[in-house]
Amino acid sequence: MKKIVLLLSLLFVLTFQFESAFSQRFPKPEFENGHQQPPTLTPAPRASLMQWFDVFVLLASLSVASWLVIKKRSRRGVFWLSVFSLAYFGFYREGCICPVGSVQNIVLGMFHPGYVIPATVVLFFAMPLIFTLFFGRTFCAGVCPLGAMQDLVLYKPVNLKPWLQKALGLIPYIYLGLAVLYAATATDFIICRYDPFVGFFRFDATFSMFFLGGIFMLMSLFIGRPYCRFLCPYGVLLNLTSLVSRKHLTIAPTKCIQCRLCEDSCPFGAIEVPSPVKPAEMRETTVQRFLILTIIIPVLVFAGGFAGGRIHEKLASVHPKVELAQHLLNPEKEVTEEMRVNLDAFKTAGKPTKELFAEVAVILHDFYVGGWILGGFLGLVFGLSLANLSKFKYQPDYITNKGTCFSCARCVDYCPVKDENPILQKPQN
Amino acid sequence: MKNYNKLPETNLKLWKGLALFAGIFSFIICFLIIVNFVQINRIDPVNVETVNALVQRLHENPEDLALREQIRELDLLARKAYFTTQWQIRTGGYLLVAGIALLILSLQMIISARPKNPIPSAQAPENYLFTQKNARKWISAGGISMVAIALLLAFLTHNKLGNNLSDASKPNQITENEEVVEIPVAEISDSIKADQIVNEVSVLDNQIITTAQDSSQNTVKTQSPADIPAEKPASISKVDDFPSDDELRRNFPFFRGFDGLGIAFQKNIPTDWDGATGRNILWKIKIPLPGFNSPIVWGDRVFLTGASNNKKEVYCIEASSGKILWTVEVKDIPGSPGTSPKVTDDTGHAAPGMATDGQRVYAIFSNGDIIALDFAGKQVWVKNLGVPKNHYGHSSSLIIFRNKLIVQYDQGAGGQVMALSVSTGDILWSTPRKVKISWASPILISNAGRTEIVLVADPNVAGYDPETGVELWSIKGVIGEVGPSPAFDDGVVFVTNDYSKLLAIKVGEKPEVLWESDEYLSDVPSPVAASGLLFLVTSYGAVACYDAITGNKFWEHEFDEGFYSSPMIVENRVYLVNKKGVTHIFKADKEFVAIADPEIGEKSVCTPAFSNGKIYLRTQTSLFCIGS
Amino acid sequence: MEQHQEGNKIDRRKFLNSGIRATIVLGIGGLGFSLLKNLSAEELVWQLDASKCIQCGRCATSCIMTPSAVKCIHVYAMCGYCDLCGGFFRPETKQLTTAAENQLCPTSAIKRKFVEEPFFEYEIIENLCIGCGKCVKGCEAFGNGSLQLQVSHNLCKNCNQCAIARVCPADAFSRVPVKSPYLFKGFGNKKLVKPAEDDE
Repeated sequence: MKKIVLLLSLLFVLTFQFESAFSQRFPKPEFENGHQQPPTLTPAPRASLMQWFDVFVLLASLSVASWLVIKKRSRRGVFWLSVFSLAYFGFYREGCICPVGSVQNIVLGMFHPGYVIPATVVLFFAMPLIFTLFFGRTFCAGVCPLGAMQDLVLYKPVNLKPWLQKALGLIPYIYLGLAVLYAATATDFIICRYDPFVGFFRFDATFSMFFLGGIFMLMSLFIGRPYCRFLCPYGVLLNLTSLVSRKHLTIAPTKCIQCRLCEDSCPFGAIEVPSPVKPAEMRETTVQRFLILTIIIPVLVFAGGFAGGRIHEKLASVHPKVELAQHLLNPEKEVTEEMRVNLDAFKTAGKPTKELFAEVAVILHDFYVGGWILGGFLGLVFGLSLANLSKFKYQPDYITNKGTCFSCARCVDYCPVKDENPILQKPQN
Repeated sequence: MKNYNKLPETNLKLWKGLALFAGIFSFIICFLIIVNFVQINRIDPVNVETVNALVQRLHENPEDLALREQIRELDLLARKAYFTTQWQIRTGGYLLVAGIALLILSLQMIISARPKNPIPSAQAPENYLFTQKNARKWISAGGISMVAIALLLAFLTHNKLGNNLSDASKPNQITENEEVVEIPVAEISDSIKADQIVNEVSVLDNQIITTAQDSSQNTVKTQSPADIPAEKPASISKVDDFPSDDELRRNFPFFRGFDGLGIAFQKNIPTDWDGATGRNILWKIKIPLPGFNSPIVWGDRVFLTGASNNKKEVYCIEASSGKILWTVEVKDIPGSPGTSPKVTDDTGHAAPGMATDGQRVYAIFSNGDIIALDFAGKQVWVKNLGVPKNHYGHSSSLIIFRNKLIVQYDQGAGGQVMALSVSTGDILWSTPRKVKISWASPILISNAGRTEIVLVADPNVAGYDPETGVELWSIKGVIGEVGPSPAFDDGVVFVTNDYSKLLAIKVGEKPEVLWESDEYLSDVPSPVAASGLLFLVTSYGAVACYDAITGNKFWEHEFDEGFYSSPMIVENRVYLVNKKGVTHIFKADKEFVAIADPEIGEKSVCTPAFSNGKIYLRTQTSLFCIGS
Repeated sequence: MEQHQEGNKIDRRKFLNSGIRATIVLGIGGLGFSLLKNLSAEELVWQLDASKCIQCGRCATSCIMTPSAVKCIHVYAMCGYCDLCGGFFRPETKQLTTAAENQLCPTSAIKRKFVEEPFFEYEIIENLCIGCGKCVKGCEAFGNGSLQLQVSHNLCKNCNQCAIARVCPADAFSRVPVKSPYLFKGFGNKKLVKPAEDDE
C-alpha cells in the first residue's frame, strides 16, 4: 500500500511539473547542490476492502445475536455480544457508518439520483431490517453500539408509567420524519449531527456533543435505553418490522403459567401484562370512539399537513442556501460574522444571484411539499396510535410487545418455565 | 435462576466501594475536561490578539528589542498552553473511559448479585384501560400542542420574510425573461444584423434562465450607441455592475481609448495650441513622479500613475481645474518584493497604462503590484501578481471586459493572460501563454457577434474568449521583442514589429493572413486602423497609410522627428505626438493632408487622451490639458 | 367449535403477517434496485477541493477532531522555494528569520530549511498543523499556491456527515472515491490516477 502511495506521489510530482511549467509565479528552482525535492506525503485512506469486512462482521453478529436470542435464549451471550459490538462498531470503527444514520443516505439517494452511495451503506441499512423481520429486534439486543452503550450502564431502572411510555414513544416518529425531510432536501443529516455517543467512540467531539452524550449516559443509569426508546429514528422502522416478525423472543419457552415473576424484569417496559377478560367499558362507547376516530384520523392528517405546510419556510431556514438567499434578498438584515464570510464567498464564486434565487425557490417548494407530507404523516401516526389505544385486545398471558421489545433476553432468566421440563421450579434465593 | 449471579458478601462490598470510587473519579475527570474545554475555546492559537497587536507594534518600531522578546515569550506561552490543554483533554478522555469502564463493571457485578424478585411485587400492574385512557389523553394533548406551536411559529415569526423570498425568486425570473426577449424582437425589423439576432433569440429561448443576464448584455451591444437607454445597465444584476459600451465610448477608459483600439469618439477636439505662449492650454500641472503611462479619463477625472525606484503612486486629477484630487501611494503590498526589479530608463516603473470601469480605477507597476481604487482614492483591493521577468520593465497596459480586468503578463517564463475580478481582484481565469516577453497591450475586438481579447507576442497573434480565457485562435505572426499593440478594423487585425513584418489578419473561425509587408515597421508606436485605412507609424519618423483590405500603400510621409507615442484617430483626424512634443495632425484619408503641427514645448512619449473639446497630454514631467 | 375459530384466527393472522413480511422484503429489494444507479462498490471519503478553498479558517474549528483532520499539505513540485515565503512569514516582515514575531503559522508548524542560496524548503509538521489555512492563504496570494489544505486521510474519521462540509462557505467539500482521495489544485487529478492504475 505504502509503495502505491509513494508511486502516486511521484507520478503526481512528475505530471505536475510538466503541466505547471507555464502557470507558476516563481518557477521551481534547479538546485546546484543536487538537493532532492521531497515527495508530497498523501496518507492513504482505509482500504476499500475493509468496509466489506465491516459488512461481514455485521452479518456475523446479527446471526449470532439471533441465534442467542431465539435458540439459546441466553442473556449472558447477548450481554457479551453487545460488549463485542460496542468495542468493534463503537470504539474500533468509531460509530460510522451505522444503520441508524444510513437511513438518511438511503433517503438522499432516493431523492437525488446524482448522490453516490457505497453499496455497503445500503447493506448496513437493509440487513438489520431483514433480520428483524425474521427474528425480532436482535440488532438492538446485541449489535447496535449505541444501544449497548446505554444498556451496559443501566443500574437501577425506574419503571415509567405505561401511558407515559406510549406518549413518549411517538417522539421517534417526529425525529424520523424530520430526518427524512432534511435528508431528502439535502439539507443536513440531523441524526448524525445529534448522535449522542459518537463523541465517546472517537474520544473527540464538540462540547455540545459530549454534553448531550453525558446527559444520555446519566439518564441511562436509571431509565432503560432512553435514546433507543424515545428518540431512535431507526427504531421506528425496526419496531414496525418487528411487529410482523416470523419468530420473536418469548418470555416463556412454552406456555406461560402467569406466575407474575417476570412482571418487573423488563427495564424497557416491553412486557404486556394480561388484559382483563371482559372490557370494563360499555361496548357502545367503544364503537362510538371508533366512529369518532374514523372521522378524526383524516382530520388529523389534514391538520398536520396544513401545519407542516405553514411552517415549511421555518423548516427550510436551516438550509444554508436558503439562509444565504434570505440575506441577499434583504441586504439590510443583520449579518453575523459567519454569514458575512458566506456572503463574501458567494460573491467571489461569481454565481448569479438570480440563479441562487431560482434554486432556493425550488428548495422552498420541496420543503412546502415535504412539510405537508411530514405533517400528514405525523397526523396519521398520532391518529393511528389513538386508534390503537382505543382498541381492546384480549390477551391472557405475559408476552413481550413485539414492537418495543429489544430482545435483550433479560426476562428469560426470570421465567421458571423450562423448555424440556415445563414444571414449576422453585426460584432460588 | 443461575448460579453465576451469586457473589460472596465481601465481594459485593468491594464492588460497591469500587463503583463509588469509579463514579467519583469519573465525575472529577469529567469536570476537569469541561474546564479544559472552556479554556481551549479561550486560548485560540489562531487568533492570539495580544501577540498580533504586539507584532503590529513591532512593525512600527522594528528596533524595539524588548518588545520582540515579549512577543517570543507570549507566542511560546500561547502555543504551549494550546498543546498542553489538548494533551490534558486527551489523557483525561482515556482516564474517563477507564473510570467509566470500571464503573460499568462494578455496577454490572452489583446488578448480577442483586436477588431476582422471588415473589411478584405486591403492587398490581396499572389498569389496562386506565393506561389506554391516559395515553390517549397525552398523545392528543401532545399532537394538538405541536400543531398549535407550528401554526404559532408560522403566523407570528418571520414567515413573511420567507414568503417574500419564495415570491421574489420566481417572478423575478419572469420579468427578466420578458425584458430580454423584447429587446431583440423590436430590433429585427430595422437592424442589419437581423440574422444574428434571430440566432441569439433562439439561444435565449433555450437557455433563458441560466444565461439571461449575459444575453441581455449581448443584445445591448448590437444596438447603436445612440438609442441605449441610460438605465439599461440597471436592469442587470447588482453583482455584476459594469458600464455599457456606450458609456465606455463616451469616456476614455483605457490606454488608446475604447477597447484599446486607438480611436476616440469625442467631439470638438482642438487642432491649435502652443505650449510656449499658453495658447489654448487650459492648465498644466507637474506630475510628482515620472511615468510613461498615458492618462485615462472618466467623467471629470483624469488618472495616471508615477513611480520611482522606491515609490509608486496613483494620481487622480480633476479635469476641469487640473487640481490633483488625491494621490495614493502603493506600498506595503503583501507579497511585494522589498526592492523594485531592474528596469531601463526608457521604460520605468510605471509604464503600463491604467484602466477604469467608471467605478474603480486599476493600476499595475513594474514589480507586479496591482491595485484597485475607487473614485475617492480608497483602496478596494490590492495584490502582487509576482514580479514579472522582464529585462526592460513590464509595460503592458490594463484593459477591462465587463467585470473582468484583463492582464497580459507575458514574461520570461510562465507567461500568461489572466482575468481578475474587478470587485475582489481574485483571478477568475488565467491561461498560460507559450510566448516570449511582450511589451504590447491587449485590445478587445468585437467580431462576428463575439468579443475577443487579441494579444501579440513572439511568435504569435492570438484571440482569447474574455469570459473563459480559452484561446480561440492563434496564428504565427511577428517575432522579436514585440512593442506595438495590435490594431483592428472591420474584422481585420494588424500587427507589426521591427525586423519582422506587418501582418493583416482576417479573424474569424479560421483566421488567415490577408496581406503582409516589410517596408515600414514599428518597434514602439502601435498602428491604428479605421474606415478601411491602416496608419503605420515608425519610431524613426516615417508614417505610411495602407488600404486595410488589400495592403495597397496609399501614401508615405517622412517627418523630422521619431515617434514613441501611438497615433489616435479623432473626428477623422490622426493625432500623432513626436518625441519632441510636436503633435502632427493630419487627415485620416487616402491622401496625406496635413492640418496643423502645434507644439507643447516639452518632450513626450505618451499617447494623448481625449474628452469633449479637450486633449490630455502627458509630457516627461507634466500633464497638459488642451482646449479652448 | 370455539377452539376451531380461535385456530382460524391465528392462521389468518399468520397469513397476514407473512404477507406483510413478503411485502417488506420486496420493498427493501425494490429500494435497493431503485438505488442501483447511485451505488458504488467503492468506499467514498471526504475531501476538499483546493481550487475552491477560500481559507476561511473553519476547517480548523469545525472538524469533530481536535486538532482538525484537515491539514496543510505541501505540494513540493509547485513550490518556488522562495526566501520571502508568503506562507511562512507574516506580511510586512522585515527580517527573514524564523523568529516567532515573523512566523505566520500560529503553531509554528512550518519548518524552514536552507537549501542553497537563495532557496529555502518548507516542511509542514503534521502533528502541529491545525488546518487554519493561514499559510495557504499567504502562499496563494504571494506565491505559487503550493501549500494547500487537504483532508488528511489517516486522521479523518469519514463521518457520515462531515461537520466542515456543512459550514464550508465555498462548498469545497465532497466525497471522492478512495482511489483518488486528494483534490490538489494546479494539476490534472484524473491524469494522476490513470497512469498509476496502468503501472499496477
